[in-house]
Amino acid sequence: MKAEIQKLKSGWPAISAALALAVALGVRAQPTGHATDFTTTEYYEPPHQQQVKSILSGAEAQPQPGGLLIIKQLKLRTFGLDGTPEKVVTAPECIYDTQGATASSAGPLQLQNVDGTFRVEGEGFLWRQTNSFLTISNNVRTWIEKDAKTNLKP
Amino acid sequence: MKRFGLIMMVILGGLTVYAQTNAITPGSPVSATNGSPVAPVPPRPPTRIDSDSADFDLTGHLATYRGNVRVDDPQMKLSCAQLTTDLPESGGHPSRIVAETNVVIDSTDNKGQTNHVTGDKAVYIYSVQNGVTNETVTLTGNPQPQVENAQGTQAADVITWNRANNRFSFYANYHMVLRQGFGGAMGTNSPTQIKTTNFPPEAKENIDQNASNPPAADF
Repeated sequence: MKAEIQKLKSGWPAISAALALAVALGVRAQPTGHATDFTTTEYYEPPHQQQVKSILSGAEAQPQPGGLLIIKQLKLRTFGLDGTPEKVVTAPECIYDTQGATASSAGPLQLQNVDGTFRVEGEGFLWRQTNSFLTISNNVRTWIEKDAKTNLKP
Repeated sequence: MKRFGLIMMVILGGLTVYAQTNAITPGSPVSATNGSPVAPVPPRPPTRIDSDSADFDLTGHLATYRGNVRVDDPQMKLSCAQLTTDLPESGGHPSRIVAETNVVIDSTDNKGQTNHVTGDKAVYIYSVQNGVTNETVTLTGNPQPQVENAQGTQAADVITWNRANNRFSFYANYHMVLRQGFGGAMGTNSPTQIKTTNFPPEAKENIDQNASNPPAADF
């Protein structure tokens, strides 16, 4: 995890040049194509600006007009101030707004903590990256286990 | 890497949900009074919470469930319009859960007695101090919260439910309606109400009741 975070801090090397260009052009362009291994990182506010707050990644990103990206196989990880992995959000697909730093979808998603004791499923969501706020719109189901069952690798 | 855990929950019911006081670790052998091992305790089923929608503040570690909230826990079922619970950073039980609007709790204690609890607001507090688990549910609001069970119906402005010993305490404007046959006086289990007692509104009544001890009220 530390190595991964260091890698991210060094400047998003995982993002392809094509995707970066598409994002930079934003509304003005009609980007085409797609990129793989999309990752964007949110950091805590000062004085903890060196600490990663969340990492949003996807197996594939397709640029859309207006600075939007269609993200496939979304995986969102949140971290505590000490770097401890906290929650993991996964979804088959979402739309990521690079300007508003939000991710949304009408489809399903799953949220759980790293030891599997807390798991949520629902349909339709909005993730606000800047304040780590997740809204699930429909059919929310939560399971709470007394004991940890799994130890997910963040 | 620290393990991150969660909650609760119970919610209520967990809110109660979590409400397992002095719980035995599932799967671990338990010694009987004669020291011989007994069968392992089966794993506790998970607590489930369903709702129309929900907000998760992952920075503030808070979850808010809205619309047709239902909590299904091995020890109780709860329904309400909104439920807010903290999400412990390092796992374990939530320390505070608040159920609001049309709160209905149905629970069964370890002696098989059922309690039907209603109120406008229920606040579940969980804490462990010096190895002792404190777990309470406090009901308030309008309409007046009440507890209904085999003995009858008891209501008060504030009702505190100690989950550790399944005792209810009633504060202010206490009101009781006994069912016929409670205590053997009527010789029947008919649900017909036979007596109503109103305490002065300004009085602070604290009447404990559980399955083994009759209410302290003097009828």
